[in-house]
Amino acid sequence: MTDRKSEDHGSAKPNADELTTNSLYEMLCNVDAEEYFMNIKEDLSQVDRLVSDAVNNLVINFRYISKLTKTHHDMVLAIEKMAVPEKSVPIIELLEKQMVIADKIEQELEMTVTSLQFGDLVTQLLAHTVKQVENLNIELQHIDRQADWKNGRSSVQEKHEGISSAVKAANTRAKKKPVVQQGMQMGDIELF
Amino acid sequence: MAKTILTVDDSTSIRQMVAFTLKGAGYEVIEAVDGQDALEKANHHRVNLVLTDINMPRMDGLKLLELLRELNHYKTIPILMLTTESGDEMKAKGRAAGATGWLVKPFDPKRLLEVIAKVIN
Repeated sequence: MTDRKSEDHGSAKPNADELTTNSLYEMLCNVDAEEYFMNIKEDLSQVDRLVSDAVNNLVINFRYISKLTKTHHDMVLAIEKMAVPEKSVPIIELLEKQMVIADKIEQELEMTVTSLQFGDLVTQLLAHTVKQVENLNIELQHIDRQADWKNGRSSVQEKHEGISSAVKAANTRAKKKPVVQQGMQMGDIELF
Repeated sequence: MAKTILTVDDSTSIRQMVAFTLKGAGYEVIEAVDGQDALEKANHHRVNLVLTDINMPRMDGLKLLELLRELNHYKTIPILMLTTESGDEMKAKGRAAGATGWLVKPFDPKRLLEVIAKVIN
């Protein structure tokens, strides 16, 4: 891991008045690591926005299809009522077939209600992952500030231990994963 | 008269799916975006059942459950938790706070309606 902070090592300490926000930022953290983790967070936010957008559109489509299906169902019933007194067997048979199709569409829509909940699960998982990335960044920055890596005095073993300790600390900070579902099958129900 | 259900979730799509399912079965539905919003709405409406998520901003579902159980009207009405959380520890917390039942997401509309019909009466 390169460190911008180390580039200033040995040079004259800048006067506090001369410190711009940027140089202060560079002194306080490892900019490469910071940028790397920022990019990951931006990617995850992009995924979240795309998923949310897709879910919103799917829900709008779902509600529209559901409304149309209900209208269609009601129309078939109304036509059937008109056809029965006429005793038009072919029309009644056709309407019965229409009714079967309408019922099947309604059943499929009901199943879609379960699948359409994927957006909530994905959003929660992404938020959890963003938090993990933030934690790892914080812990790596902490180790980086303490390490002697840049002057070459640290052994490979020490570097490994430093990284392991950062990962362990990040794990300790992490909250329990909020979503353990591996698929979109219906969840358990328990009444107390 | 139709029974009223308060559904609480910070996810718009979940609220819409729950409302779609419940309205289709003839229930009146009030939506809240988090525990704080739910608490305010619970105070202003006569609600027959609460269906709440757990992980939400401002106020989570467990805190909402605790606060609702302190209110006279909500001491005995069914409060169901609808959440992605399925760990025993979390369920035990819900149970201790007075939850009526625990439903793990994603929910199936038919099963949700069956459970609601069972506890709302």
